[in-house]
Amino acid sequence: MEKGGKSLKLINANKELAFQNEEKEKRAAELVIANKELAFQNEEKEKRAAELVIANKELVFQSEEKEKRAAELVNANKELAFQNEEKGKRAAELGIANKALVFQNKEKKKRAVELSDSNKEVDELEKRVKERTEDLESFSYSVSHDLRAPLRAINGYAKMLDEDYSNVLDAEGKRFLVEVRNNANKMGVLIDDLLTFSRLGRKGITNAKVDMNKLFETVLSEISQNTAHHAEIKYSNLLPAVADRNLLQQVISNLLSNAIKYSSKKEKPEIDITSKYKNGMQVYAISDNGVGFDMHYVNKLFGVFQRLHSDEEFPGTGVGLAIVQRIIHKHNGNVWAEAKEGQGATFYFSLPAIDEKPVVSQSFNLTKSW
Amino acid sequence: MVNNTAEILLIEDNMNDAELTIRAFRKGNIKNTLIHLKNGVEALEFLFGTGQFEGRDISKKPKVILLDLKMPKVDGLEVLTQIKANELTKAIPVVVLTSSNEHPDIKRAYSLGANSYIVKPVEFDEFSKVVTDLGFYWLLKNQAQV
Repeated sequence: MEKGGKSLKLINANKELAFQNEEKEKRAAELVIANKELAFQNEEKEKRAAELVIANKELVFQSEEKEKRAAELVNANKELAFQNEEKGKRAAELGIANKALVFQNKEKKKRAVELSDSNKEVDELEKRVKERTEDLESFSYSVSHDLRAPLRAINGYAKMLDEDYSNVLDAEGKRFLVEVRNNANKMGVLIDDLLTFSRLGRKGITNAKVDMNKLFETVLSEISQNTAHHAEIKYSNLLPAVADRNLLQQVISNLLSNAIKYSSKKEKPEIDITSKYKNGMQVYAISDNGVGFDMHYVNKLFGVFQRLHSDEEFPGTGVGLAIVQRIIHKHNGNVWAEAKEGQGATFYFSLPAIDEKPVVSQSFNLTKSW
Repeated sequence: MVNNTAEILLIEDNMNDAELTIRAFRKGNIKNTLIHLKNGVEALEFLFGTGQFEGRDISKKPKVILLDLKMPKVDGLEVLTQIKANELTKAIPVVVLTSSNEHPDIKRAYSLGANSYIVKPVEFDEFSKVVTDLGFYWLLKNQAQV
């Protein structure tokens, strides 16, 4: 019985062991399943972890980007702050400038008022000048009429005395009468010259194209008709001018008469007339080989009643060149002269240039001389 | 004076100028009868037979009138206006006398119908010449018309 018990005990134990084995196998199977489950979960977790790693990287990158952006923003902010400051400064400057402008504006308004006041003064002055000019005009008419009438009487009665009483007058008496008449005539010429001069002040100019060759020809034949002279006068291809023909004729007449007069004591008086362009002007020159004058007195040449020669040497009223100057100035031109005592003089006058070539149609007859 | 007639009527307030003008005519052998009137009033009275010339035969007209412009009271332009406004007198040639060719009245005189004008020169010989030339011209011309 020992043995049987023993074997029962063994069977039981075996059974127990089998059961346990079974249990263990069940458990092992469960564990296998659980293990599989864990492995799957593990795998999932690894996947998730990998995803997380990627997401993390992404976040890190984004974070970095954000930091960068933040840094940039900080910089931009600083820049803006700086700009703001600058703008503030600029605004302050503009404020100051604005104040200055307001001040300047006020000054300008003041100035405008002042200008308007002085304009009124100018208007007033102009009105007075006009009145004075009108006074002068009527004065010159009176002068013309009232001074000439007695001169006519002096001259006329001296002539009548000479004609009707020549039998009771000796040579000296007759010479006195001639002197009386000469002086009356001279005063008449003076009055005429002065009137011509004053007329120029109020007369407007009517510009037209002037053939200067023809104008010189006209003036020369006029002078030659009235004055005996032996001057050789040369001119050719003169530039045409735009000017008041009548006034320009007066200028040429005065200058040419002068050239003839002041060269009349030379054995061979020569007068050259030329023209050329210079500095936007056209310059006409009338040169003679006459007595000339001392350049020291050149400033007196164009003054009214200013003369550089005595009446005995060369008669004249001293108004001719003043008339020339006044006419040329009216044309926005200029007059001047160069001379040497005893060696002749050159008188120049300039007119604003017109863009044209000289008339050459007279090329077959370029030089005229009288 | 009532029936005064004259071929030349000189209307001039300056006695010296009048004497010189008359002498110039005589020297120039213009022997036509000449009456000198000393102002515009006298001139109008003569031409229209009024005042001191009341009753004058005004159909006896001068052949030429020499008329000074500057005269006291009734001046030359006024006389000219009345001469040219009247049918009886408007055909008579009127030569205006003036001291200066500057005078704006010359233009005015022409527009009122003056036939010519003389600027009285200072120089007597010249004066004689223009006076006789113009007097002669108008006397002859008027002769031709009549």
